[in-house]
Amino acid sequence: MIRNGVLIDDGFAEAFPMKGTRLIITAHNAEWARHAAVAATGFATSVIACGCEAAIERELGADETPDGRPGISLLIFSMSGKELAKQIERRVGQCVLTCPTTAVYAGSVVSPSTGEYAGRPPEGARHGLGRPGAMPEGEAMPLGRNLRFFGDGWQISKVIAGQRYWRVPVMDGEFVAQESCYVVKGVGGGNLLLLCTDVDAALAAAEAAVAAMRCVPNVIMPFPGGVVRSGSKVGSKYASLSASTNDAFCPSLRGLVPNSELTPEIRCVMEIVIDGLSEADVGAAMRAGMEAGIELGAANGLLRIAAGNYGGKLGPFHFHLRKLLGEAQS
Amino acid sequence: MSGWRLRLKQAPALRLDLRELSLAAEDIERVRVGHGNALVPLAEFFDVAPDADGRLLLEGGEGLARCDRIGWGMKQGALIVDGPAGHYAGACMSGGTLHIHGSAGLLAACEMSGGALTIDGDAGDFAASTLPGSMDGMRGGTLIVKGSAGARFGDRMRRGTALVFGDAGDFLASRMVAGTIAVAGAVGVHPGYGMRRGSLVLLQAPARLPATFVPAGAEAPVFWQLLARELARHGGVFGGPFAELPSRRIERHLGDLAADGRGELILVSQPKT
Repeated sequence: MIRNGVLIDDGFAEAFPMKGTRLIITAHNAEWARHAAVAATGFATSVIACGCEAAIERELGADETPDGRPGISLLIFSMSGKELAKQIERRVGQCVLTCPTTAVYAGSVVSPSTGEYAGRPPEGARHGLGRPGAMPEGEAMPLGRNLRFFGDGWQISKVIAGQRYWRVPVMDGEFVAQESCYVVKGVGGGNLLLLCTDVDAALAAAEAAVAAMRCVPNVIMPFPGGVVRSGSKVGSKYASLSASTNDAFCPSLRGLVPNSELTPEIRCVMEIVIDGLSEADVGAAMRAGMEAGIELGAANGLLRIAAGNYGGKLGPFHFHLRKLLGEAQS
Repeated sequence: MSGWRLRLKQAPALRLDLRELSLAAEDIERVRVGHGNALVPLAEFFDVAPDADGRLLLEGGEGLARCDRIGWGMKQGALIVDGPAGHYAGACMSGGTLHIHGSAGLLAACEMSGGALTIDGDAGDFAASTLPGSMDGMRGGTLIVKGSAGARFGDRMRRGTALVFGDAGDFLASRMVAGTIAVAGAVGVHPGYGMRRGSLVLLQAPARLPATFVPAGAEAPVFWQLLARELARHGGVFGGPFAELPSRRIERHLGDLAADGRGELILVSQPKT
């Protein structure tokens, strides 16, 4: 399949089940909400060594948050519920509780395919993030439940419309945290490989793809700027490493490794990794990214779009590139 | 679940105890109703007819004020009283909705733990409080009194939300353990007496603040927005007194320092005219 001069591989991205949740951070103004969200999602690019994959999903207006202040929606994914609980407690405790004027709430964890999405659930919906008291679905996981002990006995519990909140006295007033957030089975590791003529073309294609994917709800691209240049394969010649460089897509190794995927005109490859709350969300993001790349076309240096997989034996979610584009076309 | 329409034939000579009456009752006409010290089939006092809306509707005008324990221990469904209700209305209810299109007697919603009770008229003394001799009052659900409430409203209340659109009597929220009470009108003496925790929201400042409350040193704007929006949703969507709460400023006082001292008395500023 060739679109606008871009070869679309007859391959697929292989993704894995993860545990994921959405958190809503609000603050006195958008800048402080962003400070907290950036800190809370720092060092969270890959579960290989970070414990979780997290990023800002989008900014929320004051009319979309439970307390009527500007906010940030962020998604956090981990390989197990236990690890996710640990990461939430550490990150919220060290990065949100500490940040001036912030409050933290559970976000909706329902895919838009069910008709609901971040911030404004329909009136009477059983869950959501925009209305305090709405009842989220999914497995409950501590959010403020353990952080409340920072209050040293002065913390106050308040149940508002069926949801428990904790009010912890701090030096700027009080920190408000919803007791629990809600965890669902998400999908991690969706990916696109953008094979380009040079660094400039690869960055332009990756930036355009990430910008398009950020318009898709319920997904994050956890790497810096949404892009990863050190794509990895499973395993290494060194026994202590679980992952190592994806030599098949390294231009500098073309001609040196037997399994190189690259042709001479491809001199730079960028990867975009996508985590989402559902398989449909990840698929929609991959489709949006590919379409953005195709729009740039071969004329701007994007020659081929591929995806990383492990032969289909490890991950249950397979995102076939041509099928995704076919769906879009149909 | 099929509904029933019950019409009181005439005001009973003695007070009726309707604690056994519920939508779940199998043979509703034979439900035993307390009448003085006798148990009498319901059909002796009420004309019974099916209700297509699946609710339990009580009709009978002022005579219903002699019917006690309407909605006692109610768990689900809708019960509507087209008139006043006697004592213990909605007591111990844990779910469903009870709507009284009139006033309620003493001890309405006492030990209520869930569901929603709306009283269009006034509520007597000890609403949202405890059953006599019990330690815990209202512990969940929502109580809305669109008229005024008597004394000891919310005594020993532990959880839930109670709104009074009108005035409240003396010793409002006395010995309150937790939960939220909001009153739009005037309040009697000693509000928050012995209050340990919980929030008492007053739209009209009392004549004198209790001496055992101290001004809060910090604002709580986030919490207030969460609470005010919820109160507005319950009590103001149709232009009620709580509709503008989220846009109003507050002044908090903490107490009762003679008890645990972690309760808060929230005085809402008057809207700018």
